[in-house]
Amino acid sequence: MELIATVASPRELAGTDLGPYDSVCLGSPYCRRVEGNFAEDVALLHEAVSALRKMGKKTYVTTPAAPRGRDLPRVELMIDAAEMEGVDAIEVHNMGVLRMLREKRSPLPAHMGAFANVYTHLTAQVMKEYGAVRVRPNAEVSLKEMEIVAREGGVEVETLVHGKIPLGVTDKCSLLTESEETDPKCPSACREEHWLTTRQWVLKTIGKGVLSGRDMCMLEHLPVLVSAGFFVFKIEGLYETAAYRSDIGRVYREALDLAASGAEYMVRPAWADAVKRHSREGLCNGYYFGKTGRLYVGTVLQEAKPKV
Amino acid sequence: MAELLASGGTLEMVRAVLDNGADAVYVGARGWSRRRAQYEMGDDEILESARYARSLGKVLRVAFNTLPASQEIPLFLAKAEKFFSAGIRDFILTDAGAMAALSHRFPGVQIHASVGCTIINVEDALFYKEAGATQIVAECRMGLEEMRRLKEEAGVGLEVLVHATTCYTLLGRCTMSSYTRQEWRIDDEGKNHFLGSPNRGGLCYRVCLTEWDQVGEDGEPEARGVILPNTAYFLVDDIPALIDMDVDTIKIQGREYSVPLVSEMVRFYRELIDAYVKDRRAFRLERWKERMAGIICARDAERREKTAGLISESLTASPL
Repeated sequence: MELIATVASPRELAGTDLGPYDSVCLGSPYCRRVEGNFAEDVALLHEAVSALRKMGKKTYVTTPAAPRGRDLPRVELMIDAAEMEGVDAIEVHNMGVLRMLREKRSPLPAHMGAFANVYTHLTAQVMKEYGAVRVRPNAEVSLKEMEIVAREGGVEVETLVHGKIPLGVTDKCSLLTESEETDPKCPSACREEHWLTTRQWVLKTIGKGVLSGRDMCMLEHLPVLVSAGFFVFKIEGLYETAAYRSDIGRVYREALDLAASGAEYMVRPAWADAVKRHSREGLCNGYYFGKTGRLYVGTVLQEAKPKV
Repeated sequence: MAELLASGGTLEMVRAVLDNGADAVYVGARGWSRRRAQYEMGDDEILESARYARSLGKVLRVAFNTLPASQEIPLFLAKAEKFFSAGIRDFILTDAGAMAALSHRFPGVQIHASVGCTIINVEDALFYKEAGATQIVAECRMGLEEMRRLKEEAGVGLEVLVHATTCYTLLGRCTMSSYTRQEWRIDDEGKNHFLGSPNRGGLCYRVCLTEWDQVGEDGEPEARGVILPNTAYFLVDDIPALIDMDVDTIKIQGREYSVPLVSEMVRFYRELIDAYVKDRRAFRLERWKERMAGIICARDAERREKTAGLISESLTASPL
């Protein structure tokens, strides 16, 4: 079983306890201007990969979710750098970047990211021909559908077990009033938290990305995931605190160990406390059970917050 | 010369857009396109639309451009085969795997990679070409320079939406609507309509267009009444450039609008394109702008009403 952390920059890496994690995906796919973005800075990537290797972690590096044509030469340089560093895989959200990897005959395997829109096993098969060995299906894909993708697609399936669900990506930052080159708020605006609230809904905005307001939480349902054969689990930790990444990682490491042990599984009170403490707007199960994304299915961690 | 493609939300709209000068019309197979069922068509209506288009020497294109579930692929292929047997050769798809399956099953079919593919660079276009697409739809904010490169380097047809919306997020990469409300509803044929998911079922509640309050970490308001920009556009200035670069299709979206409005849009673009092609040097845009303003005004009124309805619908209790 593999538990993956996501870390965008040295700032996010600092203070994060990576002990519970097996691997780390470096960089932010949302915006190249995120300060210290590992997916944009060769020197920072080198340092991080060296340090993580010493810790025995697998390392992946992500690529931009929405690169325009003018951005592709820069992406290519980063792919070259990632090859040099010997990272274990490249996370890919954009089909153009996937094709570039194949055209370059890159030895790096591709992990298809949350914005790659993998919905069917047939699409997973197409991506496999380009070098994808792992896919993270789109958030809307249910667990039952993901089982088919894993079985028929011939690829590993990564599941999101905890964190904000990536809901959308764009190339214009909503936190700025001027262009990103001239606005003094860039790149500091997205280091602070910003929430969008209206009616019954809360979303988290990171400028070029929209995330769920609630935290996806599969803690109660981990045995379902494990018995369905899933073994690659990600905690979305971008734009969160070091304490969030550390505490949630510890909870899921313990929970996965228990779920795999065959002993009776139950959500421990300390785990429940940790996930509730770190969720500002409550918990949800996304689309895994074929419901509205913001709903929580289950009993153990049911939240009573009306705003979801 | 560029083909003028227009929307066919109903049989009446199919006839109207073809009669008003569209070269081709697209319709959605019920449950399978990026609109809700009321703007899609049953098989018999699609076959009748195809016959009407053929009688005028024009093209009917069938949209299967949602992202289905794996277990729905056999349904898709069976429906596509029914249309293929009736002589339909033009399809619009989003799922790369479905494209590959369709092009293997029926070599020679025309497959357009939908706007839902979010094709934003030349490499994207080449990926979908290799998956089986014969033509790709440019992402709505793609600049003319990138389109020119794509046209020169990709060797695949280029389609540009001239009446559509630029979502706040990149269209095809957004699940905000289904986060607020999603309902699985399976029809008689076994197709899930994924109500509330624009990518999967076509119905988008447009929650980006409601008024949001932005608050910071401490809960203090930073801005009130924030509207995440999702703008309907009506492209006129770029039409000469699009024709000059030899784009293959100029597309008017609009299945959810009224038949008179869509007919007016089709007439407008037909006459504009013809006037430009007839005498490119003498062509002046100015005289078209006033007529355009009238169409935009009518379009915005219809859109506002629709958006208000969708947002209020999204607040109805979702099934647990």
